[in-house]
Amino acid sequence: MYINRLLLLAAGAFLIFFPAFENWIINSEVAWYRPWQFWLVIVVAAYWNQQSRYPDEL
Amino acid sequence: MSFSLAQILLFIIAYLTGLFAIAHLADRGIIPDRITRHPAVYTLSLGVFAGAMASNGVMSLAYDYGYNFLLYYIGVVLMFVLAAVLLVPLLRLCRLYQLASLADVLTFRYASPRVGAGITLAMCITVLPLLALQIQAVATSIQILAGGSSTLSPEGEHNGLAFLFCVIISVFSMLFGTRHVSAQDRNTGLVAAIAFESLIKLTAMLALMLIAVFVVFGSFGEMEQWLLSQPEVSAQLAQPMRGNNALILLLIFFAGAVCMPHLFHMAFAENTDSRDMRAATWGLPLYLMLLSLPVLPIAWAGIRMGHTLPLDYSALAIGMVLQSKSVSAIAFVAGMSAASATIIITTLALANMCLNHLVLPLRPLQVERNQSIYSQLKWLRRALICVLILAGYVLFAFLNLGQSLTQLALVAFTGTLQFLPGIIATPYWPRGNHYGLLAGLLGGFFIWFLAMLLPLAGADIPMPLQILLGEVATGNDRQWATTAIVSLGVNSLLFMFVSVCTRTGAGEKVAADICSMDDLPRPTRKILSVNSAAEFAPRMAGTLGEHTAQDEVERALEELQFSIEEKRPYALRRLRRRIATNLSGMLGPSEAHRIVESTIPFVASPGDREREDFYLLERNLEQSKPRLTGLAADLNDLRRHYRKTLDNLPIGACSVGEDGEILMWNQSMVRITGVAESDIIGSLLSSLPPPWSRILEEFFHSDASMRVKTEVTLPQGNKRWLGLHRTATDTLSNNNTLIVVEDMTDVQLLEEELLHSERLASIGRLAAGVAHEIGNPVTGIACLAQNLEYEKAPGEIQHMAQDILKQTERVNRIVESLMHFSHSGARASEATLRSVNLADCIDEAIHLLSLDRGTKPAHFDNRCDRELLVVADSQRLLQVTINLLSNARDARRDGADVRILARADDKRVLIDIEDNGCGIPAEQQNQVFEPFFTTKDPGEGTGLGLALVFSIMEDMNGRVSLTSPLVDGPYPGTRFTLQLPRGRYEMDYDL
Repeated sequence: MYINRLLLLAAGAFLIFFPAFENWIINSEVAWYRPWQFWLVIVVAAYWNQQSRYPDEL
Repeated sequence: MSFSLAQILLFIIAYLTGLFAIAHLADRGIIPDRITRHPAVYTLSLGVFAGAMASNGVMSLAYDYGYNFLLYYIGVVLMFVLAAVLLVPLLRLCRLYQLASLADVLTFRYASPRVGAGITLAMCITVLPLLALQIQAVATSIQILAGGSSTLSPEGEHNGLAFLFCVIISVFSMLFGTRHVSAQDRNTGLVAAIAFESLIKLTAMLALMLIAVFVVFGSFGEMEQWLLSQPEVSAQLAQPMRGNNALILLLIFFAGAVCMPHLFHMAFAENTDSRDMRAATWGLPLYLMLLSLPVLPIAWAGIRMGHTLPLDYSALAIGMVLQSKSVSAIAFVAGMSAASATIIITTLALANMCLNHLVLPLRPLQVERNQSIYSQLKWLRRALICVLILAGYVLFAFLNLGQSLTQLALVAFTGTLQFLPGIIATPYWPRGNHYGLLAGLLGGFFIWFLAMLLPLAGADIPMPLQILLGEVATGNDRQWATTAIVSLGVNSLLFMFVSVCTRTGAGEKVAADICSMDDLPRPTRKILSVNSAAEFAPRMAGTLGEHTAQDEVERALEELQFSIEEKRPYALRRLRRRIATNLSGMLGPSEAHRIVESTIPFVASPGDREREDFYLLERNLEQSKPRLTGLAADLNDLRRHYRKTLDNLPIGACSVGEDGEILMWNQSMVRITGVAESDIIGSLLSSLPPPWSRILEEFFHSDASMRVKTEVTLPQGNKRWLGLHRTATDTLSNNNTLIVVEDMTDVQLLEEELLHSERLASIGRLAAGVAHEIGNPVTGIACLAQNLEYEKAPGEIQHMAQDILKQTERVNRIVESLMHFSHSGARASEATLRSVNLADCIDEAIHLLSLDRGTKPAHFDNRCDRELLVVADSQRLLQVTINLLSNARDARRDGADVRILARADDKRVLIDIEDNGCGIPAEQQNQVFEPFFTTKDPGEGTGLGLALVFSIMEDMNGRVSLTSPLVDGPYPGTRFTLQLPRGRYEMDYDL
């Protein structure tokens, strides 16, 4: 079975930190639009990531 | 404030007509390609994922689960941000093998038509609640708009309009979704229309947000103030989900990104460019971010206004409360655009799946030879679209608003979650097989059916399942989470257990390897039952009809840029694969495989072994270079290094398969033959241009392991000499032959030059003797001429004249011998093998040697049979015998004879030239035939004599060998043995 080690690590970290992250992101003390701010960061990261890929790596 | 039914109907018709117009303009190319083919259009079309759930259902999801409503979007966002995990491998597969649906992919991967049928059936049942959800959202919106009431009546009195909506949507799907029979051709109009709908949906939602913020609340700051004054709303928003329900919800929507047929269809079937997928990895998250942003302000505005409608319809409620028709219309457009796009694409994708995996396998198309299957396929697909939309409507009518949009969505999404194990195993677990997949699917789907779908219709969960699901199954609203995790767990366990316990077929293993992430397609080289591309269409006409078969062959040829005259086995295999792939896009992989297997089968290969197609393997490796990392990349670099070394070798090398197919052709072969690698790879040796086909084919089929010198006459008329060698390469169960071709033209020309020089040197050595020999008769002629002056008697004059003639004849004979020997035109290329009298040839050599006055006179004892003939070139045989006899003369003991003997059998003649000299030591015997090797004193020998003898004998298909010593003692002697084919009278051989 092919296992991408980096992906496995990311999935493990995600599972471990998801509850803490969930609490942090939906904290009622902060601005209601905080999840969207974080979301925007993900969009920018995804944009940067696809820029650095080969033109056609399929 | 309310709308009349006629107004609503007109509104729906106007909106959908606009949609028709956009699709039509895009299809006709009036909307330019740079717009319709732009990655932004593709990204927007993926917004089809956000159906009525995004415009309506998500409001109540936010109310129930707070911020966790975002998981509905985040699941898809994660899938696209991590596109390399599943989307890229799936897109690669879909592109390579023209797979247009989840059922196509899984059928291809698990190499079983039963998988396709099972997945399609399960998908139809699973997605029906999603269709019902869309119709319910539109029907309820119509009811609210038409009734203007603050509550909903369950009688569904406006279902007629909902039905009309379904009819219009069906017409649109049939017109624009079935334009291309092949699912791989992009439906430009459809994609443009769906992208337009996504844009409308987003614009409407953002407009509603602005209305909520600036009209309902007054300003952004006031909205925040209101939020601060409503701690229960903030608390509701920030409530965490119980247990791991948030993770399960995320998993459900994450799976939905590839399992839901409408998103799969837009992501893979309507996408032909990886550039689009790359843009979507950030474009779709951005789109969904903007689409989700208005949800909370709209929901809060609804709460502030205190309307009594279900939360799903908060946007409509704002319009109703504000008494604004335009606001209501915007809210309705948002919902309708979301619902219509989802219905259209979902039914289209399901129709393709049903056609390819249920209809065609059960009832193969019946076509006459002169018919086309395209129209039949179109109409079947259209009928299926109608049936599916109708089924969705029937479920909606049956439920009669009894379920919330969120409940319907969760049922549908939890159902599609059951396909996730099979999809993940496609690139990551080659061990999984179709038994495991079907067992897992059956188990998971069965639990889902009993615990989620049946309760939707009001039935109770069976008792054994209640025990399995525990207390959560007793009717509370979190049962979806437990059902999802239990059904998925049972599904995965069954899948793994059954896969490990059962045997995987050979075909399935190959498919698993092809789909595997860490593997490349491993093409096999089989022998086809057809010999040219022209034979394909007639073979397939019986199944596809003449026109379709012709069209498909022409299409594949055009895509591969081959001509109809193509005969190369490699090209024909590629053509077959391309046709199968194209048919797969039209009929699904199993039906395409069946048709191609039955019409263009492979013939059993020698030994029934699968042989690797190295050329394709290399091509795949070359194309996959950017994907290879770590050790694989290093190995590939090593392969490229050796490949380059092989290519740049100064010696030609070509690899030939058992069936004579050329598998490798290096640059030296290109230089020697003038045949480009791309023109010949994958062809048979026989298809090489003359004279290469004859030479290489003869050598390939012969038993000889080498041919020292083969003369080749090129079409331009010039000649080349080649050395051919062969060796068997038994690698990866392939019995290939490596043929090495050495261009020996330069060596040959040099040898000829040397031969000529040596001949001239011999003539030089003979010069003194010749002068002496000619001098005697000339002196005699001079004396006779002087006497003739004074002679009067006629008898004496006649006698003297005869003497002069005799002397002249003698001179002539000497000159002729010299001319004969020094004949400068006797090059190898012009030499002719003929039957030559051996004894005469040796006599002539002896005569020439006797002219050499610089050496001690010797007696040559020619004991050859006077009638014995050999096949040789007389000039060259003369050179050989002169060289050997002069060596024997120089080596012999003083006063001893040089003996020449000949013995013959039916085929060959052996000529022994013996001397009784000092012999040749054993350690020098291997060197005597090498150029410039001599044991004579400096200045006495050139060291070329025996090398030339060896070379000439090879040219004349003969051999030379030596034996020494012949006897014991101080003069052991040496024997050179020449072997030549035996000649017959009236027999000529052309070299």
